Amino acid sequence: MSQVDGDDGLTPLWGKRSLHRLPFIVLKDLYSSRHLLKLLIKRDLSGKYRRAYLGYAWAVLEPLLLAIVYTFIFTILVGSSDPLYPVKIILGIIGWTMFARSLTTSAKSLSSSINLFQFARVPKTVFATSGTLTNAVLALISLTCLIPFYFIHDLPITANLFLLPVWLILLSFTGWGIGLLLAPIACKVPDVLNLINFLIRAGFFLSPVMWTYDMFNSRFGSGWHGIVAHMNPTVIPITGMRDAVLGETSNIPGYGYAMCFGIAIIGFILGAMIFERKAHSAVVNV
Amino acid sequence: MTVVMRLENITLEYPVPRQYRKEDVRPSGIRNLSLEVKQGEILGIIGRNGSGKSTLLKMMAGVFPPDSGRIAMAGSVSLLAGVGVGFHKELTGRENAYLYGALMGRTTKEIDVLIDEIKSFAELDHHFDRPIRTYSSGMKSRLGISVATAFKPDLLLIDEVLGVGDASFRKKSEERVKQLMNESGTVVIVSHSMGLLSSICTRILLLNDGEFVTIGDPNEVLLKYKELLKLD
Repeated sequence: MSQVDGDDGLTPLWGKRSLHRLPFIVLKDLYSSRHLLKLLIKRDLSGKYRRAYLGYAWAVLEPLLLAIVYTFIFTILVGSSDPLYPVKIILGIIGWTMFARSLTTSAKSLSSSINLFQFARVPKTVFATSGTLTNAVLALISLTCLIPFYFIHDLPITANLFLLPVWLILLSFTGWGIGLLLAPIACKVPDVLNLINFLIRAGFFLSPVMWTYDMFNSRFGSGWHGIVAHMNPTVIPITGMRDAVLGETSNIPGYGYAMCFGIAIIGFILGAMIFERKAHSAVVNV
Repeated sequence: MTVVMRLENITLEYPVPRQYRKEDVRPSGIRNLSLEVKQGEILGIIGRNGSGKSTLLKMMAGVFPPDSGRIAMAGSVSLLAGVGVGFHKELTGRENAYLYGALMGRTTKEIDVLIDEIKSFAELDHHFDRPIRTYSSGMKSRLGISVATAFKPDLLLIDEVLGVGDASFRKKSEERVKQLMNESGTVVIVSHSMGLLSSICTRILLLNDGEFVTIGDPNEVLLKYKELLKLD
């Protein structure tokens, strides 16, 4: 953020930075503030369940209880007889929650800590990232609820399992990038936060949480419906998570992979540019 | 004398609220202000409410970026304002002290050295290791002042934060800030107290409606300020 310029030997508080370097600056800021980042994650984690008797067990219980409810509803409505459906639901919930929480915590990061940003010069990207990483830790804890299913259904442990964290990281990264993109406008226009809340609720049904990639394909085929569905950046990663755990291989077209990785990378680049350019003035104008 | 901070033609205008946009309302903020802060001086800033004193201080601290103009400085700067902002209610006083220190860019080792001093100054005893949701507002303020004044910057900016706690803590805080002012060397202080400013400042800057009016000898500037108040 700063470099000595001019002939007075003083360092400008707001140095000029070219647009294309901003994504690298975001990553560099995060690395140089890793100590603060660690403390904020610790704060969020210890604050979240500190007063609950069951503590971190809630991170495991939440997806488990939701899976029971959704399996019950889905079995009644659709009459699904797939014994692995609860496992698919749990993975869908964990993946979707990871994406949705990453997006909302980073999008709300400026407005939720506005009092601090109006009194102290602190690295705002750290605040926009700590929520994402906190949720990543909680998602990893949540994954332990899958262990009993390995025994119940005798699930295979294959090399594909190593892809599980890759897909989770991709979901988190995509949500974080889109959140960075939205944070400055969400800070200035509160309606955007309401819109995000609505989109997250709607996105739950439009993403493969209660349904699966195979269900979609058997119903709609691979025509234009398929192309539209692949624009949802959670479809392929959640399907990938299920394939990794169940040892299956879904018939995902090449453009599906390209779209989900493309959206993640473009989302981060645009998000980092907009966040670094607009976040500082966004907190002034509230 | 060495210049530690230079502000060149800085402007920052707050947006006019939507309901006043059709009227010819002038946006508040700071307009076209240039200023040099010199090593070792205690610069006071005075002006009526809404004249831009706190905004100027926040721009000097690098909290708010200017719409135009340049701000440059040498060394570290710290703003003493909004004490307690950033505290997390579920964390203990000790954990919050470490977090606040990290927000100020300090490492754990640097805070380790100061933690006992922070605890004893805040007079929190065993409460220091309890969540701050259990604290009274006075206890939170004491912790805030204690943490905020523990780190010594090259340029200290103070925005009327001393009116917290009971009478004895206020006195102690004043002494602490005076000590910090001596150690930091260069101080910029915003206050409405003419007595305080005339007793400690080497120069005073008078602002009115976001614009520079005058800067110089404390007594002369305070006279000008009194004239400005009479015009109302």
